[in-house]
Amino acid sequence: MSGSMETKNASPERVRVRNLPSTGKLKGIMMRYMLKSKIVELFRRKSAWVTAGFPVEICYVYGVHPLHPENSACISGARKYSLELIEHAESLGFSRDLCSYFKTNVGATEKGIKLKQGGIGKPTFMGSTNTICDTHVKWFQIQARRMEVPYFGFDIPSAVAGTGDARMEEYIDYVVAQFYDFFDFMEDLTGKKITEKKFQEVLRKSDKLCELWHEIYKYRKDVPTPVAFQDTLAAIFPMVLLPGLDVGIKYYQALLKDIKERVAEGKGAMPPGKEKYRLIFEGIPMWYRIKFFHELANYGAVVTYEPYTFSFGPRKRLGLPLDESLRDFARLMIDVPYNYSLEKRIEYFEQVIDEYNIDGVILHSNMSCRPSCSGMLDLKKSIQRDKGIPVWVMDCDQNDPRSYAEGPMKNRMESFIELLEQNKE
Amino acid sequence: MVKRIAYFDASHDFPEQIAMAAGLEPYKILGNVHEPNDPADQYLQSFLCPAARSMLTEALTGDQDWEGIVIAHGCDATNRFYDIWKRHVDTDFLYWFYNPLNDTPSAINFFKVELKRMKDVFERQFDVSITDDKLWAAIKLSNDIKGRLQELSTMRAVKDIPNRDYFNACVQAVQMPRKELLSSLDETINDWKGRDAFPADKSPVLLTGSDVTYVEWMDTLDDAGLRVVRDDLSIGERYFARLIPHPSEGDPLDSIIQYHVTIPRPATKNPPEPRLDYLMNAMEESNLNMVISQNLKFCEPYAFDSVFTVNALKEKGYQVIHLEREFSPTKDMSLRTRLEAFREMATTNRVEKHSRL
Ligand code: SF4
Ligand code: SF4
Repeated sequence: MSGSMETKNASPERVRVRNLPSTGKLKGIMMRYMLKSKIVELFRRKSAWVTAGFPVEICYVYGVHPLHPENSACISGARKYSLELIEHAESLGFSRDLCSYFKTNVGATEKGIKLKQGGIGKPTFMGSTNTICDTHVKWFQIQARRMEVPYFGFDIPSAVAGTGDARMEEYIDYVVAQFYDFFDFMEDLTGKKITEKKFQEVLRKSDKLCELWHEIYKYRKDVPTPVAFQDTLAAIFPMVLLPGLDVGIKYYQALLKDIKERVAEGKGAMPPGKEKYRLIFEGIPMWYRIKFFHELANYGAVVTYEPYTFSFGPRKRLGLPLDESLRDFARLMIDVPYNYSLEKRIEYFEQVIDEYNIDGVILHSNMSCRPSCSGMLDLKKSIQRDKGIPVWVMDCDQNDPRSYAEGPMKNRMESFIELLEQNKE
Repeated sequence: MVKRIAYFDASHDFPEQIAMAAGLEPYKILGNVHEPNDPADQYLQSFLCPAARSMLTEALTGDQDWEGIVIAHGCDATNRFYDIWKRHVDTDFLYWFYNPLNDTPSAINFFKVELKRMKDVFERQFDVSITDDKLWAAIKLSNDIKGRLQELSTMRAVKDIPNRDYFNACVQAVQMPRKELLSSLDETINDWKGRDAFPADKSPVLLTGSDVTYVEWMDTLDDAGLRVVRDDLSIGERYFARLIPHPSEGDPLDSIIQYHVTIPRPATKNPPEPRLDYLMNAMEESNLNMVISQNLKFCEPYAFDSVFTVNALKEKGYQVIHLEREFSPTKDMSLRTRLEAFREMATTNRVEKHSRL
């Protein structure tokens, strides 16, 4: 799409996307989690900062409370604190071009903001991987030095296009070796040894969450879709942070019950007859401007699939001996949608487009997230060529509101909607 | 005829000796700052690393007679752009080498697996046998080159060696066929030996940060009266500060690994401490006072590292300036003025410090 588009339509009438009734339960779950985080901090219990892509399940095996700076950063974004925090980090010398999650976190820890504003306590240690981005490594190297806590970095080899099975097995060997290094690290830190029973229990609960998540996604194939991004964007929280607990499982079961009821009644997330365009949204949403998705809905466009939220729920193989389970886990760390090779990413998108009856794709070309943007232009061309649907490469940022220009965004959204309309005709 | 193998690595991550033992001449792709990045920009957004985009442009538009290309893991630009090279660059052979992030025993074991795999693949691809003897010979040749570069490097602090001369010698070292290179470096050593003493109107500095890949930026430092006498760049000391261990017996691949985990570590590796240790040592060893820290715009690893590195160096009492640089050969007068002001301030501070002693 071109960058200079005129506003052609008057603002459309407001369409309300209906949240699932049980979505409200998430607030209570998050409050309890924050309370636990506070208690852990006050009583100096063991806690860890972890990132997406890190095997958070292992924290539960050792009774370590996981904290998630990316999650905290998006809370700051959603509550409109992120800009102040980002600017604070920039005043310390961090470049405007660095990931806004990282800078939000630096600002949050420097200013000591409250948990509900996106604050986060000092952990016992930090753990991340390079599977998604260099940022996860650099971020924790910096903060671990500042806070004087140990850091454990998983090195996950990149399964670039054409990586064969034999090489994949070598990569897995390496990641498994690092699991054992990590167990040593955890034993030193907690004084506890890993027990296979506890490991299997956590894994089972984690997989149960993912199984339910996949089922939720299955219903999203329905027309109209019973679930929009407005529900899933927050609903990933249990997979991100609570994979060893029952609370998330109960929550997902409640969501599924709502979904099944909706489907039985033939209802969707949009009011009857209003679902016109079904979209994929690729990337992290603009947390400070979730209204964007409601504005799309006003034009009858509903986000029906997000690789971002789907990525948090890979299924695990259960009942295997520890070493085999670790191999399975390692494979999932190497090969999930957020780090798919370009070939695989294109295939994946095209399959989703077919299965979910997708009419258009928004690719968030996110200034903060260079790794996820790499290959996006090829992805766009392939989808347009193979599937003949409009693709909007949207330049923005997930936590830095300075990158969101109201007027141009509105124009581009309207032009995209026009393309969707023409394409439907 | 010289057979060249090109490589794209984010710092000094490519194990050249395997290629050399296969009878190939390694050629480090550096891009061309004078050429617009339009060819690469069809595939990569403008907020992605401009140096890496320029390297892709070189691969897309050049008429190089490369036998193939290796991309060696360093930063996200290597692993994320590999697939784009695979789709669009016309080459018979594109190979991915994963140089590990860490330096732990597990990482070292894996490094060996990767080296063995690369050796096997090269043997098949180029129909050669890569024996230990050939590897030791490649190691010896590499060390001869590194030794000469070390000799040149030490002359920077005592002779009149413009930044561009040092930079060009380092570029030769990663692009020129090895045999020609040795004699060229010997000539340079002779030439530099005959040069005047370090000029009184220049100040010696250490240069750190993103790799500098074009000579014009080195000229800017000279124009501001700053002479780079130490650095930790890949077109620089990272490439030659250490020799590859050459024990009387053992596995040459182990020596290559040992070399890679002990070179001045780039910001793309973990843990970060060795990088800073190298800088601190260099400052002390060469009795320096001034540091130029810079990162190329959109080069994240060095932008992340800069705050901690700069603060740590300042805490030690060194004079440090940090700059963000565009990927451009154009002379930047405001940058020059800033650098001159920094030099003036740093020199005054040093005089004051010594007069207090
Ligand atoms: S937004 Fe992108 S760069 Fe930033 S932490 Fe997340 S994945 Fe990494
Ligand atoms: S300049 Fe920076 S971002 Fe670019 S390839 Fe080198 S290390 Fe990577």
